[in-house]
Amino acid sequence: MRILLTGLNHKTAPVELRERLAIAPQDLAAETQALLSHPGVREGLILSTCNRVEVLVCHDGDDPEVTKYLNEHFSVDAKTLEPHLYEYRDSEAVRHLFRVASSLDSMVVGEPQILGQVKESYSAARSVGAVGPALERLLQSAFTAAKKVRSETQIGASSVSIASVAVDLARKIFGSLEGKRVLLVGAGKMSELAARHLMHQGAGSLLIANRTQEHAVRLAQKFNGHVVRFDDLHARADEADILITSTGSPEFLVRTPHAQQYLHRRRNRPMFLIDIAVPRDIDPEINRLEGIFLYDIDDLQSVAATNLADRSSEAKLAEAILEQEVARYQQRVDALNVVPALVDLQAAAEEMRQAELRRNHGRLKSLSPSQLEMIESITRSLMNKFLHQPLQTLKAAAREGDATAVETIRSAFQRHGAREDAPGVAAEKSNSGESESLISKH
Amino acid sequence: MFLVWLRVAVILYGLASVATLVAVFGNRPQWQRLSISLAVAAWLFHGVSCTEMLADAHRWMPAGMHEVQSMLALLIATAFLLIAWRYKTLSFGIFALPLALLLTVVPSLGLDKYAFKSPLIRSGWLFVHITGLLAAYAALIFSLTASLLYLIQERRLKNKRAPGFLNWLPPLETMDQIAQTTLVLGFCGLTIGLFAGSLIAQEIYGATYFADPKIWLSFLMWGLYVVLLFVRRSRGLRGLRAVYVSSLVFLAMLSVWAANVFSSVHRFGGP
Repeated sequence: MRILLTGLNHKTAPVELRERLAIAPQDLAAETQALLSHPGVREGLILSTCNRVEVLVCHDGDDPEVTKYLNEHFSVDAKTLEPHLYEYRDSEAVRHLFRVASSLDSMVVGEPQILGQVKESYSAARSVGAVGPALERLLQSAFTAAKKVRSETQIGASSVSIASVAVDLARKIFGSLEGKRVLLVGAGKMSELAARHLMHQGAGSLLIANRTQEHAVRLAQKFNGHVVRFDDLHARADEADILITSTGSPEFLVRTPHAQQYLHRRRNRPMFLIDIAVPRDIDPEINRLEGIFLYDIDDLQSVAATNLADRSSEAKLAEAILEQEVARYQQRVDALNVVPALVDLQAAAEEMRQAELRRNHGRLKSLSPSQLEMIESITRSLMNKFLHQPLQTLKAAAREGDATAVETIRSAFQRHGAREDAPGVAAEKSNSGESESLISKH
Repeated sequence: MFLVWLRVAVILYGLASVATLVAVFGNRPQWQRLSISLAVAAWLFHGVSCTEMLADAHRWMPAGMHEVQSMLALLIATAFLLIAWRYKTLSFGIFALPLALLLTVVPSLGLDKYAFKSPLIRSGWLFVHITGLLAAYAALIFSLTASLLYLIQERRLKNKRAPGFLNWLPPLETMDQIAQTTLVLGFCGLTIGLFAGSLIAQEIYGATYFADPKIWLSFLMWGLYVVLLFVRRSRGLRGLRAVYVSSLVFLAMLSVWAANVFSSVHRFGGP
């Protein structure tokens, strides 16, 4: 069984093309079913995310025309599509899949979503019977490799987006975000995004203060929060553990005396202030106060950039782990390749049969050619009957991917001094030549 | 036999210290599990050793510097395991486990030549006195460590550096809780220990015993402890000022410990 991976991603294709090929999660199973019915495809899977569309197929013989399938199904002509496509075969396809699942091929290296997306594709393919033993083996190995990369490197340990950096910092101050109160000053998109992220991570409740009351009410309804009158901002700001500002104010809204008041009323409990407004809403001097932690947009971006650089160095370690995993997968696949073992087993049995016939040659001299032919036929039939069960078990074990069973059967029937390098030779030699000569002598 | 268990505990403390360093600085989950397993094993062997040591001597209190050191190490290891379980942080292990190792190395080398011979040795009150004070020492060590780590984490967050080397530091609020809780527990231990000691001294030696500088230092330490607790609770003292106050109490505690050596009255050999 051979493997072919065809696709395009954020490095090879513009978003306009990627979106034409993108498949909605609910259509994934049906599209995989269509792929399975494409000529030459034995097993198949489609991975469709915002950054990539990849088709993975297992096939026998010639390459199935996956590009044709893409052209037909997504109504994109070959001239437009082909310059952006890449193709990987066998071990290269395995390596690419492992890199994708481990997030080494992602736009943001180390992002955790991709493994879940690969698993969703796998589930969709399984649901329509597109996952056979070969693909099952390959995908399980890819999941193991991805897990190993996650647990043995720090590739996903640090945050690389502004919102997640803010959440990480809040965790470094408060530990858990459970029950923490967030005050949003200004109802801009950025602050809404940061608040959404904090609430998603378990922050307790949301207060919103905005000059335009209607915007505050709209946002409060969206997040099930409470509106604070803008004039009451300083009177109620101490209720919040996390304060996010993003107003269009040309002057500082929060200055050192305000922050001192907050701290006094909070009995010095720490406060995390996030200023994502430009120009800034909070006087940077207040970061000098003990218990106040102020981060503006540049600070958050700088932390994110450092984390991204750290991920790149961890990616090298991850690549080394993946090389080992690819080699391990390849060894396993080789172990399950039972064709040489089948040929060797038949050759060994045939050799024994021939040897017995030769040994009894003297006693068989008196027999007529038709009687000799009968003996020839009986011994061959007997040999085939003896071999039938082990050969079937060997094939079944290989089909199910049971490498241990394959190895056990192989070693149980292995001849001493068997020619492992050229098992087919024995079969070729013994299949007809010597037995034919035995009969022809008479 | 208790020495054998103690030596096993020393080896396990050593291994747990190394595993904790790797787990904390390398942020490796497998090492975290290994570190906790080794620390628990060390604690169990240490506990068995202490129990057997006291059972052999037919008493319930440690006598002699080796035994006291061993008990203090056991209390420190206990505090570390409780903190690791309650606050899900191993970070304190990088201080607590090597400290437990250091405190148990000498006692594991052999029997103590210098022992407390007083007939009071089997008194339950003396057991309460010594255990209470040792628990207070252990708690104060953790409180000071938590306050120091709080300060480092606070400085790091204020300087807006990416996590890097100090990523292992626990969150500020966790360290504040640990510092406060251990401080309260230490205060309870200190109060109970001093109360029991005062009762014994008053009963056996009368007023002369209170001329001992260690006794005065002990009461000074108790007074400082009360102030520290009051200020921390009422003013929400954190960061640098909390470290100053904790360090002051810690210095007083060290002076009390040193007074064992310099005081001519309050010696393990008896008054």
